[in-house]
Amino acid sequence: MAVGEVAVEPQEHIHPPPTGFVSKYIISFDHKVIAVQYFITSGLFFVLAGLLAELMRAQLSGPHNNVLSPTTYNEAFTVHGSAMVWLVTIPILTGAFGNLVMPLQIGARDVAFPWLNMFSFWLFPPAGILLFGSFLVGAPQAGWTEYPPVSLMTPGTAMWSAAIFLIGVSSTITGINFLVTVIKMRAPGMTWTRMPLFVWATVVTAFLSAIATANLSAALAGLFIAQIFHIPFFDPARGGSPVLWQHVFWFYSHPAVYIMILPAFGIISEVIPTFVRRPIFGYKAIAYSSVGIGLISFMVWAHHMFTSGLAQWVQLPFMILTMAVAIPTGIKIFSWVTTLWRGRIRLTSPLLFVMGFLSTFTFGGVTGVFLASVPVDIHEHATYFVVAHLHYVLFGGSMFGIFAGLYYWWPKMTGRLLDERLGKWHFWLMFIAFNATFLPMHWIGLLGMPRRVATYFAQFDPELLRTISATNLFITISAFVLGASMLIFAYNALRSARGGERAGSNPWGARTLEWMTTSPPPYYNFAEIPIVLSGPYEYGKPLPYANIKQDPDAVPLH
Amino acid sequence: MATHALHVDDALYEEVRGHRLLGFLLFLISDSILFMSFIFGYLYNRAAAPVWPPPGLERPDVFLAAVNSIVLFGSGVTMHFAMESMRHENRKRFVGFVLATIVLGLMFLGGQVIEYTTLIRHDVTWNGTTFGASFFTLTGMHGFHVFIGVIFLITVLIQTLKGVYTTQRHFGLTAATLYWHFVDVIWVALFSLFYVY
Amino acid sequence: MDSGSRQASLLDSEFWGVTALMAVLSGVLMWGVVIFPIDEFLPKASSAAEHIDYLFKFMSFFSVPFIIFVNGYILYFTWRYHLRKGQSRTAVGSDIHDHTALETLWTVIPSILMVALGILSYIVMPEYYLADAASQATVEAIGHRFYYEFRYPGLKDPVNGELHLPIGKLVTIDLTSAETDPSQAVIHSFWAPEFRVKQDLIPGMVVPIHFKPTRIGTYRIICTEFCGLGHSDMVGKVIVESQAAFDTWFAQEKTRQASSSQAMTGTISLAGGDEASGATLFSKKCVACHGVGGFDQKKVGPGLGNIFADPQHPKLVNGQAATPQDVAALIQHGAQGPMGTMPSMQQNGLSAKDVANLVAYLKSIHQ
Repeated sequence: MAVGEVAVEPQEHIHPPPTGFVSKYIISFDHKVIAVQYFITSGLFFVLAGLLAELMRAQLSGPHNNVLSPTTYNEAFTVHGSAMVWLVTIPILTGAFGNLVMPLQIGARDVAFPWLNMFSFWLFPPAGILLFGSFLVGAPQAGWTEYPPVSLMTPGTAMWSAAIFLIGVSSTITGINFLVTVIKMRAPGMTWTRMPLFVWATVVTAFLSAIATANLSAALAGLFIAQIFHIPFFDPARGGSPVLWQHVFWFYSHPAVYIMILPAFGIISEVIPTFVRRPIFGYKAIAYSSVGIGLISFMVWAHHMFTSGLAQWVQLPFMILTMAVAIPTGIKIFSWVTTLWRGRIRLTSPLLFVMGFLSTFTFGGVTGVFLASVPVDIHEHATYFVVAHLHYVLFGGSMFGIFAGLYYWWPKMTGRLLDERLGKWHFWLMFIAFNATFLPMHWIGLLGMPRRVATYFAQFDPELLRTISATNLFITISAFVLGASMLIFAYNALRSARGGERAGSNPWGARTLEWMTTSPPPYYNFAEIPIVLSGPYEYGKPLPYANIKQDPDAVPLH
Repeated sequence: MATHALHVDDALYEEVRGHRLLGFLLFLISDSILFMSFIFGYLYNRAAAPVWPPPGLERPDVFLAAVNSIVLFGSGVTMHFAMESMRHENRKRFVGFVLATIVLGLMFLGGQVIEYTTLIRHDVTWNGTTFGASFFTLTGMHGFHVFIGVIFLITVLIQTLKGVYTTQRHFGLTAATLYWHFVDVIWVALFSLFYVY
Repeated sequence: MDSGSRQASLLDSEFWGVTALMAVLSGVLMWGVVIFPIDEFLPKASSAAEHIDYLFKFMSFFSVPFIIFVNGYILYFTWRYHLRKGQSRTAVGSDIHDHTALETLWTVIPSILMVALGILSYIVMPEYYLADAASQATVEAIGHRFYYEFRYPGLKDPVNGELHLPIGKLVTIDLTSAETDPSQAVIHSFWAPEFRVKQDLIPGMVVPIHFKPTRIGTYRIICTEFCGLGHSDMVGKVIVESQAAFDTWFAQEKTRQASSSQAMTGTISLAGGDEASGATLFSKKCVACHGVGGFDQKKVGPGLGNIFADPQHPKLVNGQAATPQDVAALIQHGAQGPMGTMPSMQQNGLSAKDVANLVAYLKSIHQ
């Protein structure tokens, strides 16, 4: 029989299916439905935050523009950054992909705490409404890092703190939920070293979410009461210190960037073996390096503070550890590239996005090393060099990874395929426009362009200003092309939803458990809980599941 | 869900209990991180201060706090005995010990109110200097946790009276006990950091 | 499984050929890094700059092969191992799972490079940072919203916006941030790109940096830490000059400070104010905080496009519409606004004539 056909009735202790529109789609406890809810909500905030970016770039197309007032510009970059981190990247990678894929990949029927899963999601829209709603009463202006004292003098900081606090609670709960799920609910026979690498990534990410986020909650509570009740933690006149905020904020926010990249690493590790049809090279190295990265991520936070007056004996260990964390990351990249070697490669859209990731994230990782060295960071800190770096790792890394995952798991989630040709157009336009937008930023940053400026005529003599202005104009145009490339995806998604080609259980011919059930899966995921016999990437050998038969005639659709 | 617990077989109950226990422990770890961040902030500001307490301010009185601590630790003892009573199927003693825990918890909170009003009368305030800010924020958070703990215990009491728990199946009580001990441990840290150090 | 492959040579001559090609390309680009003239784009003005640029080139040098090889192998492997027409989509690739020697190599070599980078960075670290006992002078730099104030040893009043330094002398700069109302002070940053020096100015802290200027010229100071609405315009100047020129400036400044304390009191004459000079002055001294739009188009301070007596218009001075003499007095004495501090004429380094010129300019743009 074909893979995934329901042959037997589900076992008795599965709850009956939800009935009615509200329990099926609104207050749902089904991890797959919750994943879709996260995708839609994050997608909406991605569009809003992206529009803010385009507004910012319009303002920066010339050195002395008046497209946005200084206040609005400040609000724009603050909400853009905050939204992209907390309302887009973290929710999509954890709440959406984590929910959609991880329980299926471990052969479970759902996560450990489905009610908490639902609750976690429903904290998310209010957080977003608070953050974007702040535009009506005065949005925060001091950047997504909201350093006091200046953040305490601008409106919107308390609202920002409350919004991010909510999303932090959501993130913590999801982290705890996912940790318990993977530790306790793996299918029989699925030892740690037989887990798919996306699950490894999810576990480490969940650990970071569960542990580091509480620290952010503390920081945000501190900032909130500082603005509303004038509590003096950050006020030097009353015994406090602005640098305290930086320590507490970055102690969370550095692990946060790993929350934003580790699941993307996991996606890469899933997509490559499927489309080169061979085992991933260096499974253990990739798995264990994720753990190493997760642990080291707690020990490097002050590399964001090298100009904040830290003593040199404090700067030194942070510099060393930051350089050290590049090693496990490099190992992954080399392993992924080696997996391409002697594969049988089908260059589908998901794989293209993976390659885009490999190219751009590697570049971003390299500029990260430039920023790790204290003397060089001193020059580059808080300039457009950093803006370039962060977009190469977060957009080049996380976003390309997210699109790879979206194209890959779209058929599983919806039962329909996305159009391959449109996918390729999307990729090439996005990849070229991305590099055109962010590569020149390294250059203008080194030459003197600071971050968070609405105009830039003051920082350059006339001759240099001509170069900087022309470069900024080029960046702006590229940024608009980059935004437009997303429309291709939107159109593709709509077409697919309206009647795209049906996918079947396993359109890609992959071997992880999510492909061993229907697309989309039934609410109980699997008719029988699978029994796992070996690892998930052994192409050429029989399927490693005792109770799932392989269809000998099945050929991947692409 | 509580009623669900009675209608499943032992194997499934144990499995789910394992999930809940791990989840609850992770929650407690996350909660400790919350306290640790504020403790870091307190120590950071204190280390940078040339003189501590700041000039003109007095340290809070150890005696009252010591008595209050004994009250709180006492409630930890009564909670322990409550758990023992549950295991030995002694309903009456169980209810008694839980009530004692609740009463001691509320006494602790009352003691904190006295402590707070005393300090405020001596110009140590929440929004004055970091001295008061750290003290009130951290002990306030702790007090809030005690208050939530009391509500937790009242809930456990109601569940017991409804006959939900058995000697084998009483995860809600286990969680409440763990939480209550957690609150005690946090208090050890805060007492040491504010009254001893 | 690989079909009929030579187990002995997993890497064939085509692979090595492509690798060699990438090595050559890397070599060329690495040579490009070595000879790249950073100075033509960003001159070096301090003794530390040379070592920092060297470190930057060191990192760029070793980044090149890394990027070339990663991208190169991705392209090559995709091209070479792509399914060809007629090959089944079920064809399976190699089952080589790992290779201890290779994995060790690609762990050890980057680690060695990191260690080297760490050591080099450590050596360069003290070159700009914190005070140095050998320093020959200390200048205080105080960040305000939105300008830099400098206090020189031997000058009684601060000089705003301009850091004058004699060439070749090691100097310490003590950095902090302050406002007349301490609760208004925010974090700024002092970045002098040509010196490769940056340090945040933090309220409540004084952080010293030190460097030795090695090139005569006028350079920029740029604020890189968001500090409010005037952040985009917060810039200053570093003027490195010969000892003789520095001494001349110092003496002139001393004299000017002595005489300008008289100009602080009394009314300033507005006769003969020159609007062209006023315009130049405005763009240097005022534009950080004031635009030339309407009164309610606030930057840090109100827009100055129509501040004079105008029945239509909101009041400027003490609830009354402003006369030119009122505006001159404001420039003379400075003001504390809700968003920042307007420096006095003395702090701005303005003479009485400057004030007259500014008022003339403001009258000329009055709508």
